[in-house]
Amino acid sequence: MPRNKAAWRRAVFVVLIIASLALLTVSFRESESGPVHAVQQAGAGILSPLQSWGARAAEPFQDGYEWIRTIWSAHEEAQRLRAELQELQGEAVKLKEQAEENARLKGLLDLKEKGTFPDDTEFVVARVIGKSPTRWEAWVQIDKGSEDGVEVNQPVVGATPMASDSPSGKGLVGKVITVTASTAQVQLIIDAESSVAAKIQGSRAEGIVEGSVSGSLTMDFVDRDITVEPKRVVVTSGYGGVYPPAVPIGIVTNVGEEDVNIYKEIEVQSFVDFRVLEEVMVLLMPADDGSSSSTTTVPADVDRGGLSTSTTIRPTTSTTR
Amino acid sequence: MGRRQLIVLGRLLLLFVMAVALQVLIVSRVSILGVTADLFLILTVIIAIGRGSMEGALFGFFAGLFAGIAFYEPLGVHCFIYTLVGYFVGMFVARVGSVTPWVVLFIAGVSSFSSQFLFGLYQYMVGPRSAFFTIVAIQILPQMVLDALITVPIFMLFVKLRLIPAPATQLTSVRSAGE
Repeated sequence: MPRNKAAWRRAVFVVLIIASLALLTVSFRESESGPVHAVQQAGAGILSPLQSWGARAAEPFQDGYEWIRTIWSAHEEAQRLRAELQELQGEAVKLKEQAEENARLKGLLDLKEKGTFPDDTEFVVARVIGKSPTRWEAWVQIDKGSEDGVEVNQPVVGATPMASDSPSGKGLVGKVITVTASTAQVQLIIDAESSVAAKIQGSRAEGIVEGSVSGSLTMDFVDRDITVEPKRVVVTSGYGGVYPPAVPIGIVTNVGEEDVNIYKEIEVQSFVDFRVLEEVMVLLMPADDGSSSSTTTVPADVDRGGLSTSTTIRPTTSTTR
Repeated sequence: MGRRQLIVLGRLLLLFVMAVALQVLIVSRVSILGVTADLFLILTVIIAIGRGSMEGALFGFFAGLFAGIAFYEPLGVHCFIYTLVGYFVGMFVARVGSVTPWVVLFIAGVSSFSSQFLFGLYQYMVGPRSAFFTIVAIQILPQMVLDALITVPIFMLFVKLRLIPAPATQLTSVRSAGE
């Protein structure tokens, strides 16, 4: 026992630091069934009902804050919307013509049209009850877990109200990376470690849509020879086995090229406005014959359509980030 | 353990429960300047200022433990960071000799910056990487400003509610501790 108070404080400090480092080491090294992970899972299980309740309790605060924030830009927004309305009225006439044409063509397409999602896909609607506290990561916590059939690597889609600069509001949200009994953690496609094999409709250019710490989406690995125009829709290609094909991701906003880069630099704006994401839908994909795709850990390079990338194994559960 | 120490322990536990509840239920869902306030860090700083380095380190350790559970981080990362913050803030206050709102603002800002910087280093080693100035601009600086601005009124409220000793009383006791 140290003799004086200062030495005692230092001893406590050293013990706490050693305990922290020991916890960190064990967190990374032990298996998922280890005691530290079990404690963490149990703790998360206890906190999840609180968080679910908190999500409802926080709604008035969030709404109030959003109201105050948006009221400042309301006038400017109204002017912009009036101008946009005039433009859209002109487009509406054009679209009506196209719609009639589409209706005729649709009859033919229906003959061989298949759904966006594979047959027997089931959907689980979940509420967002938590969000990542820093910009280093982009994930949301949902109130559905393994008890509802949610498993790691299942794709998640969502619909949000159309933001001022969002063209649709509906599309791919991300994939499940951690599951507890009653909650799940969903890695958003804007996460810096997220990568989705994708293609651009119209040009059929294929590449990888990657997130970033700043929250923007970039489509990489698209050959410079392929012509890509802005405003084209980006959808999943289905490569990698995590995301089904043809799920809308976003829209091409800018196409750039650098002399030193053999690929194009394509900026993509996601359809989903992640700032206001409140509900999502988990796709419970049917298992492939002879395999259980939803529980198989898919290597990150497969998810990227075969292109290698750095992979971080999170210690909380079996996930590839 | 005397009655006085039990009261202190009880107040610390009360603050801890409040911190967990507020951070998990409300604060982590309300984004200002694009970031959310880190109440665990803020209370660690306040405890360290009001109670000293050992209490600050202890509070920081357990706050970090709960932060790890609540935010799916590997256990130990936040324990380490908050323990360091709690201990060194307590040491700093013991040496600086004056605790005004401006000093609290300064300490909270530096603590938040240091905490974010350490967490950034950890992320850099195991997770996503980003340009240094980008992450400073979109995460570290806004978080520092938000944490610092929130810490001062909470500190003054806690002093008013006598959850922590008033700065003058605290300074006297710290000086007498001779650290």
